[in-house]
Amino acid sequence: MTEKKIPIASLDKFLARLAERGTVYAPGKDASGDLALMAMPLGEPVLLDYGNFTLSPKAFFLPQTQTLLCFRDGKAQEPPLPEQAAFLFGVRPCDAAALRALDKVFLDSEPPDPYYAHSRARTTVIALACTQPMPSCFCTSVGGGPGDAAGADVLAMCLEADLLMRAQTPKGEELLASVADLLAEPTPQDAQAAEERIRAAEDQIAPVWTADSAQRLRDAYDSPLWAAASQKCLGCGTCSFLCPTCHCFDITDELRNGTGRRVRTWDCCAYPLFTLHASGHNPRPTPKERWRQRLMHKFRYALENHDRFFCVGCGRCIRSCPASMDLRTVLKEIGG
Amino acid sequence: MTDSHEIESRLRQAAESLLREKKVNLFIGYEKASLPFRTAPLFLTAPKEAGRLVWNPFCTANLAVYLPRLFKAPADAREAKTAPPPPKVGLVVKGCDARSVVALIQERQVPRENLVLVGIACPGIVDRRKAERALGDHAALGAGEDAKGNVRAVVDDGTEVTLHRERIVADACLECRAPTPLLHDVLIGAPVEGKQADAARRRVAEFESKPLDARWARLQETFSACIRCNACRQACPLCAGCKTCLLDQTRPRWIGAGTDISDVATYHLLRAFHLAGRCTECGACARACPMGLDVRLLSRKMSQEVEDLYGYRPGEAADATPVLSAFSLDDSQDFITEP
Repeated sequence: MTEKKIPIASLDKFLARLAERGTVYAPGKDASGDLALMAMPLGEPVLLDYGNFTLSPKAFFLPQTQTLLCFRDGKAQEPPLPEQAAFLFGVRPCDAAALRALDKVFLDSEPPDPYYAHSRARTTVIALACTQPMPSCFCTSVGGGPGDAAGADVLAMCLEADLLMRAQTPKGEELLASVADLLAEPTPQDAQAAEERIRAAEDQIAPVWTADSAQRLRDAYDSPLWAAASQKCLGCGTCSFLCPTCHCFDITDELRNGTGRRVRTWDCCAYPLFTLHASGHNPRPTPKERWRQRLMHKFRYALENHDRFFCVGCGRCIRSCPASMDLRTVLKEIGG
Repeated sequence: MTDSHEIESRLRQAAESLLREKKVNLFIGYEKASLPFRTAPLFLTAPKEAGRLVWNPFCTANLAVYLPRLFKAPADAREAKTAPPPPKVGLVVKGCDARSVVALIQERQVPRENLVLVGIACPGIVDRRKAERALGDHAALGAGEDAKGNVRAVVDDGTEVTLHRERIVADACLECRAPTPLLHDVLIGAPVEGKQADAARRRVAEFESKPLDARWARLQETFSACIRCNACRQACPLCAGCKTCLLDQTRPRWIGAGTDISDVATYHLLRAFHLAGRCTECGACARACPMGLDVRLLSRKMSQEVEDLYGYRPGEAADATPVLSAFSLDDSQDFITEP
């Protein structure tokens, strides 16, 4: 595992070098002033001191709208997949960890998803350790941490004037080797300083009850709690569209006079249409069943099927819920 | 302006006695949320829990959105046999929320006699995005209201910051002509004066003064940032009052499910048209948007058109006929043009 450091002052040079090989996305502000992974060049300095992006980076791997096939004159054609390499700089450890969850679904299944596999292969993820967790963060309760590297190719950590960079995968090793002239050897003190910063961040994150969640949720399937908890749910898809691990999709054929396309789009278990059968029957007829499904999937079925939470504690669903729902509260009620 | 604490304690008393005297079996209000600048909707059935109710500048949700689902007609005869009787519901309403309730009563989605409306004369609520922006790089750990009605926030470095109310008040409140509920059974707080009618018109005029290219660019900017999560539709009490929505139909599918600009534009245009003469301008759609988009850009214009053409403002009188259900020989027909 190669460990190097680079002066923060040289970060632009580092990113410019990556830009010679592909498109670089880095933390910036979008048109409405929200934090986003923006395509370089940004026009202003890359941000290092931020909470997290409004949208998770999952759209880089599972686009919200993806054309799978085009139809014309009775023939189907697959549109070419983008070839260019992509570099995501500044992905937070929670969002990088979410890629591990998505890998379980799209890569470890048989057959693997070719579109996801392609995006994953052409994209290099450079995670940036968190130093300032938000009040809605709880990564440490779902198997992650502000300095975790799972899912990333390189983990970067901010020091006083440098970035410490640790390669995590062969792709990460190769990346650091390609910019070796910009990098310096870190001292043991650098590594120690990074550890201290990460530990300080960890200390700021309040634990959430998740132990035995699979068993407890199994027991709580018929609990009256679900009806009470889902009462205020508006049934919008904000939580799942912002969630870095939610990955359910729909496939539709858009046809007109024999010409059209097959398109894959994000879907969401909060919608009644998600489970509506052609017969008109709906096995999840009310917000109660739909909301229970969302929590069960993340904190029970995922553990049973994939041996990990399908929640990385990024807190987006808590921050953006129009009804201020907080899954931590429900988890606590079930656990307590 | 009546002090929020006083409003809050009177609100709790009102809810407690309504539940205790069984005048309602459900009371919907706001409670403290887990994050600052927010409250969560609260569904109360036990009078002893009325102390959980809060009133503060963060009571942003339009709670009328929950009414139609409580009064949903049974799907068939079998369901009708086992369906419980419609509930008696107590509801906290601000000026805009009361207008939504009126519109739902007009559209026969909610029976007036089953409602007890606890109106609050509203000094304008806080847009949490504006508040969070105003803090710059700092994150709030907690927030409250001071004696002057301004917001005080404790931020992550431990310091306290005062945010002036007028700087962080929601856009809809800056345009609100009736902040004191017009329809109510109980009114709490001294009446608050409304804004001039031209506040919303200025926003429309500003948009309309731009050349066509710039207007389209502005709309495209909004549409291309939309993630189609439906939060605007789901937060809207009038959308909640619709029995079917063309977005939920799949045979045929009227609008593609994705984020292609034509699908997004169709969604927003159709929603604006379907709310013409119904939108009560509460701004719940814009506050629900996770992307912070001004999704009211189109509906504002539609409201203005309806008012100019028919002299009608939605949600003002429960016994008025909704504008699109009414016909008068004097109706303006200038907008009908030869092809």
